[in-house]
Amino acid sequence: MVKVEVDHGLCVGNAMCVATAPGVFVHNEHRQSTVVDAGGDPAALVLEAAANCPVSAIRVTDAETGRTLFPPEPGATS
Amino acid sequence: MIARPYASFARLRERDPVHWNEKFGLWVVTGYDPVVWILRHHELFSSAVIRGVEGPPYPPVLTEDAPLFDEVKAFRADQLVEQDRPEHLEQRKTVHSFFTPTAMEGWRPFVRRAVDELLDELWPRGRMNVVTDLAAPLPVRIIARLMGVPREDMDTLRGLADSILHLNRGEPDRLRPLTEGIRGIVEYARPFVEERIGNPGDDLISALAQGETDGVFTRHQVLVNTGLMLFAGHETTMNLICNGLRAFIEHPAQWDRLRADPDRFARTATEECLRFDPPVKSTQRIVAQEAELCGKTLSPGERIRWIIAAANRDPSVFEDPDRFDIGRQPNPHLSFGSGIHYCLGVALARIEGQEIFRGLARRFERFALETDELRYQPSIQFRSIESMPVAWSVPA
Repeated sequence: MVKVEVDHGLCVGNAMCVATAPGVFVHNEHRQSTVVDAGGDPAALVLEAAANCPVSAIRVTDAETGRTLFPPEPGATS
Repeated sequence: MIARPYASFARLRERDPVHWNEKFGLWVVTGYDPVVWILRHHELFSSAVIRGVEGPPYPPVLTEDAPLFDEVKAFRADQLVEQDRPEHLEQRKTVHSFFTPTAMEGWRPFVRRAVDELLDELWPRGRMNVVTDLAAPLPVRIIARLMGVPREDMDTLRGLADSILHLNRGEPDRLRPLTEGIRGIVEYARPFVEERIGNPGDDLISALAQGETDGVFTRHQVLVNTGLMLFAGHETTMNLICNGLRAFIEHPAQWDRLRADPDRFARTATEECLRFDPPVKSTQRIVAQEAELCGKTLSPGERIRWIIAAANRDPSVFEDPDRFDIGRQPNPHLSFGSGIHYCLGVALARIEGQEIFRGLARRFERFALETDELRYQPSIQFRSIESMPVAWSVPA
């Protein structure tokens, strides 16, 4: 299980996350992305959505260990 | 108005942030919140601007050149920036992953090397024209590498990019160089597309060509979008460099602040340059569905143009907006737009800006402007300095 957060100070409503993982991300009334169900799509799609965010507004962590899955830690290899 | 537009933009924003301009027959939007609202409601505002243009181009062109306008329309209409959903989403997906922040970070060492090489060559000279010696060569060199075309072709590409830039200008004789540039880039790109369509590499032309294989693009769309990628990152990055350097020359205390710690300030300084004097002043759409905005009713078919340069100085969002502050945070400027058409090349543009300002700050103590007046290209869309001679002292 992953934990997914969207930084609304950064989100520009590009909607690529909504297109990539529609079970996880929807747009709110400001047309910014918000998480409806972190488990709504496979984790691989959530990570793809996070990587596709043009402003890096999406953070994905492992819900159990708290380890950051995206963005990649500096020095980590993908 | 072209050289120093900010006071007029501020007056309009205060008086009437969603304004009907009778003379040009279009809506002019200057307030931050209404601009964001428009950009986030793509279903109400169509990007298919050029297809709807009937009659001759504006500003007027030479009578004998008028037939060339159809060629310009065909080039423009097939580009990603002129598409609406659902086509826009599928087309954007073909190139979106190429430009992600993580993918572009991988190019940072190459950009840094390109900046270092160019600046090391320029520094001993003691003077340069920022437009032609620094701002123009750099973005073409970088996009050529991303496209996977030979470095020897740089001069050809730069010539083509300069010709295609007439797209956003107002001179009556602009259609001839423009159509020469359009034909030139299409013919230049064609053999690369043919070569890579069955044999893709990890370059940008291959990504576009894959779109044809996947049935998302026609061949013509692949070719004109290659042209789009060439010039979309050319003049915009040039303007970021020139307008940013102008801001630093006029605000020496901020230049000293950057010089004191370039690694710390390169990121926020680039964002502030983008906000303070944006490369793209304004953009347009066509109203697709009736919309209410700030008490005004916008009707289908009406043209709408928003002024990024005005919204970026809206005091309801930016404290002391006319102050150039390279440490400003947060800085939610609209220089890359917002919504589904948010600048595709944003991550690359940021890296280019950061590396340029970092590289300049590490080498140059002080620039002196060698002209009394900076002139700008006659464009409503771009904020482009025509010529920018500067000098600096080189120790003997």
